[in-house]
Amino acid sequence: MSDKTVSSVVSSANVAANDAKLAHVAANVAYAANDGSATVASPAVRVAGLHVTIGGKEIIHGVDLTIPRDATVAVVGESGSGKSVTAKALSGLLPDRSDASGDYALFGEPINLEAGERAWRRLRGGTIVWLPQDPFSSLDPLRTCGRQIEDGLRAAVRTGRVADRAGDDRPVEQGRLTKAQRRAAVERLLVDVGLSPAVYDAYPHELSGGMRQRVAIAAALAPDPRILIADEPTTALDASTQETVLDLLESLRSSRHMTLLLITHDLALAVERADHLVVFHGGQVVEEGGRDQVVHHPRSPYTRELLDAHTRLAVTDKPAPGDVVMRAEHLMKTFPGAAAPAVNDVSLDVRAGEILGLVGESGSGKSTVARCIVGLETPDSGSVVFAGNDGKPTGWSRGEAQLVFQNPYGSLNPTMTVRQTLAEALRVSGKPADDAAVRALVAKVGLEAEFIDRKPGTLSGGQCQRVAIARALAPEPKLLVADEAVTALDANIQTHVLETLLELRSRLGLAMLFISHDLDTVRRIADRIAVMRHGEIVETGTTDQVMNHPRHDYVRTLIAAMPPALD
Amino acid sequence: MMTKVWHRLPLILALVVLAAVVVLSVVPALSAGALDQDIMLSTALPDADHPLGTDSLGRDVLKLTLAGAKTAIIGPVTIALGAMAVGLVFGLTAAYVGGWVDWIISRIVELMLSLPTLLLAIVVAGVIGGGYWTNVLVFVILYAPYEVRLVRSGALAHINDPFLDAARLLELGPLRTLAFHLFPVIRPLVGAALFLDMSNALVSLSSLSFLGLGVSPQDADWGRQLSDARNLLFDNPYAAIAPGVAIIVTSIALNIVGDFITEQSEKAER
Repeated sequence: MSDKTVSSVVSSANVAANDAKLAHVAANVAYAANDGSATVASPAVRVAGLHVTIGGKEIIHGVDLTIPRDATVAVVGESGSGKSVTAKALSGLLPDRSDASGDYALFGEPINLEAGERAWRRLRGGTIVWLPQDPFSSLDPLRTCGRQIEDGLRAAVRTGRVADRAGDDRPVEQGRLTKAQRRAAVERLLVDVGLSPAVYDAYPHELSGGMRQRVAIAAALAPDPRILIADEPTTALDASTQETVLDLLESLRSSRHMTLLLITHDLALAVERADHLVVFHGGQVVEEGGRDQVVHHPRSPYTRELLDAHTRLAVTDKPAPGDVVMRAEHLMKTFPGAAAPAVNDVSLDVRAGEILGLVGESGSGKSTVARCIVGLETPDSGSVVFAGNDGKPTGWSRGEAQLVFQNPYGSLNPTMTVRQTLAEALRVSGKPADDAAVRALVAKVGLEAEFIDRKPGTLSGGQCQRVAIARALAPEPKLLVADEAVTALDANIQTHVLETLLELRSRLGLAMLFISHDLDTVRRIADRIAVMRHGEIVETGTTDQVMNHPRHDYVRTLIAAMPPALD
Repeated sequence: MMTKVWHRLPLILALVVLAAVVVLSVVPALSAGALDQDIMLSTALPDADHPLGTDSLGRDVLKLTLAGAKTAIIGPVTIALGAMAVGLVFGLTAAYVGGWVDWIISRIVELMLSLPTLLLAIVVAGVIGGGYWTNVLVFVILYAPYEVRLVRSGALAHINDPFLDAARLLELGPLRTLAFHLFPVIRPLVGAALFLDMSNALVSLSSLSFLGLGVSPQDADWGRQLSDARNLLFDNPYAAIAPGVAIIVTSIALNIVGDFITEQSEKAER
């Protein structure tokens, strides 16, 4: 056993002893005894020397991992770090043409990683359950929610784990529940996840994203699992919904004495929610331990970098705000067929060298505002006026404002190299478009010159986003509108891109409209913040005013839903 | 390595067939004397001088079939390229401009698609007299609506991609946007469609020639040859089999290459 495993066993024992969780442990003993499984001391998951190869390429290079029972464990890492692949290997969900090896024990019982699909299915039905990431695509649109939850009950019956779930004392004969028993059990699960029993007969499209994720959670709980793996369970949801779904998961976990494995790219969320942290990087575990230990005494440089990325941005000179470069007044926009206006009487202005943050949930109309400002949408009424070169007010042109899009891959033409994309942008802006000019532009956004002849498909999201920023800067606009420009990026890449933006602001005196659903990100970069809801601006003020003295209730909710600072 | 070659055998054979057809059609020396008649040797079975025998006019079946490659490739290539050119112009315009322009183009396309292609070609050839190039022109027009629809739907899949918005933000003109941003992303689709159309056009053109509405009687053409040899099935079956096999093999080869291009572009997209 390696040092790492030893220390994590100790730390997990600490976690259990630390908190008032002795009661849980006791319950767990009873649970384990009922189940007839191995000794109490054995952790939920113990894995040593896990190697995973997919399509001939080794993805996981020897992972040692111990996951305590009855705890929330966060597995943190950027996309491609191997966190999901490891979780998939542990539940037998690896794709074809992949190969896993290593010692693996679940609750003390050794499991063969190369077992066939049939063996894995037994395990997944009762012991390990996955909660899918996206509630919008994980439910079958053609079946009622109740029926989909029942699928999990069947797995529970198969493994003889029905417990007292049928809701009455009738014995379960030949491993089958009657229709009424099934319905009662599903309705009870629906109530457990905070939904009305009537949801049994609802189709997924009748429910909101948050409700759908609750249905998915109910389905995951149906087989009464002992380990619930939640892969980015809230990434597809709005900030305030995220909060309630995570609260629900935590309360269900502790009441059922499950182990919750929370896979996330968001370190702040992991620190807020988990007792135990596992940090992945490059297919290896670089850090493992209790939450406090990881946060206050990180051992690996990578963890330290991640923690730093969350707390501070490199400080750059903040230029004094100049003249107003863009003023939007009384913008109105109603899309054909929509009941309510997408943008309802929105006015805002941005000064040179100033970053205005625009915050709101998805559907609040902030993207429509952005598109109206750069002329991609025509507002029904209202005006967007730019300062113009000679002081004369003017409409939008490419030299006035440029937009950086949310999806870094989609915003670049997949058939053009970085050089072609940027040279075209320079050429049409009437600038020299030779090799030196392209290189200068690439350097401006902090991208290495080696990527210049690559196509977007071979670049990472962060690199693509820098190319997109470079293209937006080619016409030397006075205003840069960044619409969810860092949302699709991993935490530490986000920080790099944000720092790039801040540096551009101070060097070029650029005005910026920074749009995001994430108040935390906006708080870190913006000088002023405007909060949008249902197409209207509900609050606006300096970052300090909005964050520390919010006037509107909705803004207070948003602030309350933010993950707490890490220090 | 061997398994790779084996796996790709149909593709390799298809490319060999197409290469042969192209070479035969561009090198006149290879089809010299194909049309020479020898009425004394009418409808002879294969012998040393004539490996596939002769037809009713005493023409060598093998030479005639090889000479037929010319009309088998030039017409279909012209039809596919011509129809695709029309398809790109109207399909990209419909997708990019949208609104009433799209509505009008789509309705015209639907109207044309409701017409039976071959029947209409026969009527036109019957009215204005037929001929190889007349038929080619008619098929360009009749194939075009399929391409318009294909290009339009291919382009619509990308019309909301942010990189097109980015092009608008650089104030690129519509022609530049269509040519350098929208066209390249649907190019694989266009490539695959071209080959499948050539295959269809070959069969269509041969059908008209078979009905006597295509090439003039003295030209070598597989459809024409098949029609002439219909009555010789019991005297020299090779006179009918050779052009028939040529049409089938060439058509399948075009399909295989078209499939390969589709497959490659799907891989490239991933």
